[in-house]
Amino acid sequence: MSSFRELLFGKKSAEDAKSRLQFVLIHDRAEISPGLFEEIRNDIIMAISNRLNIDPSYISINMDEESGERRLLVDVPLKNSRRPTAPRSTNH
Amino acid sequence: MDSVVITITSGKGGVGKTTTTANIGTALALLGKKVVIADADIGLRNLDIVLGLENRIVYDSVDFIEGRCKLRQALIRDKRAGELYLLPAAQTRDKTAIKPQQMVDMINELRDEFHYILIDSPAGIEQGFQTAIAPADRVIVIINPEVSSVRDADRVIGLVEAHQKGSAMLIVNRIDSARVKKKDMLSVEDITEILSSQVIGIVPEDEEILSSTNRGQPVVLNSKGSAAQAYRDIARRIIGESVPLTMPSTGLFWQKLFGRA
Repeated sequence: MSSFRELLFGKKSAEDAKSRLQFVLIHDRAEISPGLFEEIRNDIIMAISNRLNIDPSYISINMDEESGERRLLVDVPLKNSRRPTAPRSTNH
Repeated sequence: MDSVVITITSGKGGVGKTTTTANIGTALALLGKKVVIADADIGLRNLDIVLGLENRIVYDSVDFIEGRCKLRQALIRDKRAGELYLLPAAQTRDKTAIKPQQMVDMINELRDEFHYILIDSPAGIEQGFQTAIAPADRVIVIINPEVSSVRDADRVIGLVEAHQKGSAMLIVNRIDSARVKKKDMLSVEDITEILSSQVIGIVPEDEEILSSTNRGQPVVLNSKGSAAQAYRDIARRIIGESVPLTMPSTGLFWQKLFGRA
């Protein structure tokens, strides 16, 4: 019998189990709780938004583990970057 | 004697540690090895009843530690499987009754006489677990294919490494190949990938386990069923034979009937 979720997303429960486990184990192994993660995220938003125009809702912060090496991946898209190659702006 | 001490643990309770210990120990003895299976679950002993030896206990490991008997007197021989002995735990004490070093000394006394000493660890990661892994040369972690068991196993694998016991080996217990096929249950490959540990056995869900436990007869004694075969394969891998890992079919009646697995 297919669950509602399965009908909706076409995803089998074992795949959910696997991805949820992979996520939670990265946190378990690094001894960083998802709550602490949120705090780090807020610190980063504060530090960057003082200097740059960013939209906090687009910031993603993730932990990654590859062959025993853990890293924190932070992706911060900049707002209003229509002319990213213009280095010297004179209109201020 | 070149003895090997193997502790069987899991973190999470109820995943089949005691049944697995009883069956692997019995299977090793049936292969002609001299085996002791020691119950380290002080206060909640069950290896005796799973093996059907509950009426024969006079002394237990705590009696030995506290000087009330010789170690030999606490060992109960299971005549059904050649040279198989049970070292029972005390039922009316707690996990603090044996300290890790006392456990090491007690097990060392058995090393001269036996090929394999299997220790059935209590659930959890507290003192009882630490005492159970203290004498181990190798550690086997039992896992059920579900999220809480896999998560707890990851924690245990980390602790086993932290205690300098090397990398733990896994037994995936109670797997249902039909549900794995439907991607409704984690597969052995999923679990190996998540935990990056070596799998030494895959034991299917099998109705026979309950009835054999009811009777106090480990399935490896007389069954041709799929779980019994899986335990025998594990015993052969432990003694160094090369037995390929295969996904066993489930021993569930309706699936056998309709050939679903």
